[in-house]
Amino acid sequence: MKYLLTGGGTGGHVYPALAIANEIRQTRTDAEFLYVGHRDRLDAWVVPDQGYRIRFVRARSFPRTRSLVPLLRFAIVLAVGVSQGALILLRYRPQIIISTGGFVSAPVLFAHGVLAKVGLSRARVFIYEPNAYPGLLNQVTGRLAQRIGVAFEQAGRWFDAKKVAVVGYPVRRSFLNLDRHAAREKLGIDQGRKVVLAFGGSGGAKAINEAVLAALPLWREAGLMAIHVTGRYKGSDYDAVADTKAALAEMGIEGEGDWYRRLDYADEIVDLIAAADLVICRAGAGTLTEMAVSGTPTLIVPLPTSAEDHQALNAREMERIGAAQVLYQEAFWDNASIYSGLDGEKLAQQVLALCVDEERLQAMSAAAKTMPKANSLELITAELDGLIAGQPPPALRLELPSAKSGLPTAPNALLRWVQARVKEVGGVEAMERGELAYLRYQADRLLVSEGWCEIPLGRRNVGIKLVAVLNYQERLPLLLHILTDRTTTGWMRRFCGGDFRHGGIIRRNVVEHGLRGLGATDAQTRAALLNALETDPYFEVRAWSAQALGEMFTVDDEIDSALCAALDDSAPEVVVQALSALGKISHNPDLLARLRRFYLHPNWQFREQVVLVLIEFLQRGVLEPAQLEHDLDQVLISMPYFEPEFTLGANLRELAERVRAGLPLAASQR
Amino acid sequence: MIYYLGIYLQDVVEALSFLRLVDSISFRAICGAITSLILTILFGGRAILYFYSRGHRDMPRDYFNSEAVSNQAKTYGGGLIVAAILISIGLWCKLHSLFVLFCVGAIVWFAALGWIDDFLKVRHRSSDRGLSEKAKLALQVTFGLAFGTAYITQALPAESAGLATQLYLPFFKNPVLDLSWGYVPFIAFTVTAISNSVNLADGIDGLAIVPTSFVVAVFGVFAYVSSHAEISEFLIFPFMPGVGEVAVICSIVFGACLGFLWFNSYPANVIMGDTGSMALGGLLGTVAVLVKQEFLFLIVGGIFVGETLSVVIQEKIGIRWLGRRFFTRSPIHHHYQQRGLADTKIVIRFWIVAGILALCGLATLKIR
Repeated sequence: MKYLLTGGGTGGHVYPALAIANEIRQTRTDAEFLYVGHRDRLDAWVVPDQGYRIRFVRARSFPRTRSLVPLLRFAIVLAVGVSQGALILLRYRPQIIISTGGFVSAPVLFAHGVLAKVGLSRARVFIYEPNAYPGLLNQVTGRLAQRIGVAFEQAGRWFDAKKVAVVGYPVRRSFLNLDRHAAREKLGIDQGRKVVLAFGGSGGAKAINEAVLAALPLWREAGLMAIHVTGRYKGSDYDAVADTKAALAEMGIEGEGDWYRRLDYADEIVDLIAAADLVICRAGAGTLTEMAVSGTPTLIVPLPTSAEDHQALNAREMERIGAAQVLYQEAFWDNASIYSGLDGEKLAQQVLALCVDEERLQAMSAAAKTMPKANSLELITAELDGLIAGQPPPALRLELPSAKSGLPTAPNALLRWVQARVKEVGGVEAMERGELAYLRYQADRLLVSEGWCEIPLGRRNVGIKLVAVLNYQERLPLLLHILTDRTTTGWMRRFCGGDFRHGGIIRRNVVEHGLRGLGATDAQTRAALLNALETDPYFEVRAWSAQALGEMFTVDDEIDSALCAALDDSAPEVVVQALSALGKISHNPDLLARLRRFYLHPNWQFREQVVLVLIEFLQRGVLEPAQLEHDLDQVLISMPYFEPEFTLGANLRELAERVRAGLPLAASQR
Repeated sequence: MIYYLGIYLQDVVEALSFLRLVDSISFRAICGAITSLILTILFGGRAILYFYSRGHRDMPRDYFNSEAVSNQAKTYGGGLIVAAILISIGLWCKLHSLFVLFCVGAIVWFAALGWIDDFLKVRHRSSDRGLSEKAKLALQVTFGLAFGTAYITQALPAESAGLATQLYLPFFKNPVLDLSWGYVPFIAFTVTAISNSVNLADGIDGLAIVPTSFVVAVFGVFAYVSSHAEISEFLIFPFMPGVGEVAVICSIVFGACLGFLWFNSYPANVIMGDTGSMALGGLLGTVAVLVKQEFLFLIVGGIFVGETLSVVIQEKIGIRWLGRRFFTRSPIHHHYQQRGLADTKIVIRFWIVAGILALCGLATLKIR
């Protein structure tokens, strides 16, 4: 029997494939395997290590963008991959194709689809989908499969229901019985030390790696041992191995030691997990199932870019049952762009707090083991046997934990939802900490998002509003960065009237919603607002800055003179707001001379505002009534609207009030 | 009806031979205008009260939180214009003419579209919950395509059929381009764009109706010229027999517009709503195509073009793409409102500009 295995790109796809293959190898003696993977990913070294032949195809994940270049590149790579896949299929002629998803599997499956149409491929296809949300390509290739096994029931709704069987996640058998003592002996680790294992998944997680490096000195002081698996990720902006080594050299740390051990990649991760007291990891379904099965306490850092944010949901579920703590990635400012990272300080502190609390670790371990386990491998082999025999077994149903968020995905809907939620629990202070952290993490995700321009008004924008709603004071510096950033946007946009990378509306919202919502009154905010009032090219930002200065700050000479300077602004909105602010806070009686210039201004809004300012000044004793005696007949009285004494309307309102007061409530609310 | 009656009577009764007057386009145009004007004024007041009592009231967006603005409950009165126009057309036009059928079709289709929109808004008590933008566009384009196809295959008599797909520009004597079947999507675009632009301009009392009446007046003149064998030859226009009926219709619409202004002038008792603005806009687009002066609208309907541009610049370029506002509000008349100009002042200034633009449009009769 010839099996062709494919799928990969990340461990979440490769390991199930290997687990399935190992299982088949044990039960069937005539089995022959070929693995089709990607040259640059972990498939390339993990698969041969396990003793399987591997061939490579070109592949690329589907770009979730509407811009043309990545899409074209994807199409070309896919075309090349499909022809490579076709050659492999024609030469190898498999009877069963097992795909475990991931973008690498697409070329082979598409090639099979084409060949099957012309009768050149007779293989039967089994697709295994390990995630709760299938990737885009897997949703398409699902049509080519005779049978689909899913780990989570939710994933089933993306496929033809008749083909789907729920099979759970195939955990490698070695995870079932872990022996800490033996593992430490094998690895040569001191039995008495607390050991922390950090691994960012097979792809290597930049955020986790960098945070671990930042946390190392603190851990060393506390006498912890850290095992750090960097992963072999290599991208244009980050090389997991090389960059980590460089950072370590800078810190003067060797890769090996009794308190720190660095690995590119862990072939025998089972031993490392067995040896560790606490594991820092991502929240992929595979990883979490393995942790749960082995009863390992975890500190989970969900991947913020996971499809539909399912990692955060998985992590929350683990946290809810008490098996894990969640530490979210946050938004950081770096040179005009906002990126998602992990705070090393926080990571260090949380790990230390957990490691001194042996009871807590025990409780977490016990809680993890309560997660339901599945005899997943047997189910999958039964499915495959059914396929070979031509009569698949009836769909099997398993009870699996499913995490449902209830959070709307559309940014504005999310904002409304959070506002309602905050109101419901009675303010941010009253909110449960886990939930607050999760919602703040949502704000961070929106802030990190590049696409700010979706309908209407974009993600980053909503992130700014969420920061204010959630009273997320830690993000104040980030907001100030956005406000003061002067990185220019592309020439096309500048030509059409754009200015900076963070467009006018986003800067306005920083002032209007962010800074005012947070009630920031520190010196940096003050400086940023003054700067915005003076130099920002966009009128709405200047107007809101003037208003914010008037609302939130007590006056001093600098603010006073900045607001006075704003009276010469070219945009009427700014002048009106500056006047209003001056009326609220200024103590400068000399202002009267400037105000008099507005008495005959053609714009009635200025004149009205000046009168209001004078009233304020009189009330606050800045001006004496006698000073204004001759001004009274100087103001030009004209307005576009005059509000007539609309007696009919007023009387009708009175009648309505009386009628409603006399009626039962339900009837009057019709 | 009166047209057919007149033709019949002058044949049958010797003494009534003067009734061949009804064959004259100018006579029918004037009578049509007077009819529609009188109809609107006569029945307008009653219709307004009727609609008001039935709850067809405008739900203004509350931009300014001004008591004075939100206190004036106005009626959706687009049906009034549409009814007056349709009745007058029935009385004074050659109903078997294809040109008339196109115009009537446009009015009915777009009025129905607008009415559904209005109805949904009234029902949900919110001006943001009418028909979706996509549905509106789809229905408008559907009409445009159907009309375009019918127009290039059927409208003109065989001897001048080649004219149908020619593209004329203002200031040019000869057609610049033969679009052939490409003319159909062009027509769809023209009709859709014009009907939406009128819809956008309809924002303050009297703002849309007067420029509309200017535009129909100018197009009426062009239609008359094109239908007249001698004048069209003298002014070097394409001679399109039968287009004279469009002149009659333009004149009828002109009358209806004035009659509507009677009630719509500041402070208005009635606004046309989407029913009226869509119907008028759809009709303007159709007329522009029928007299083969699509590009003339850019000049004569400059107010509408400007309003549309302000929306595109503000929404699509500004907010969607650049993340900034160019105006405080769009369409542009709200910008002026926000900047402190009185409603009446904005409206009358727009009228003045529209009048000047209409004169410029008329000038292209000779300057070409």
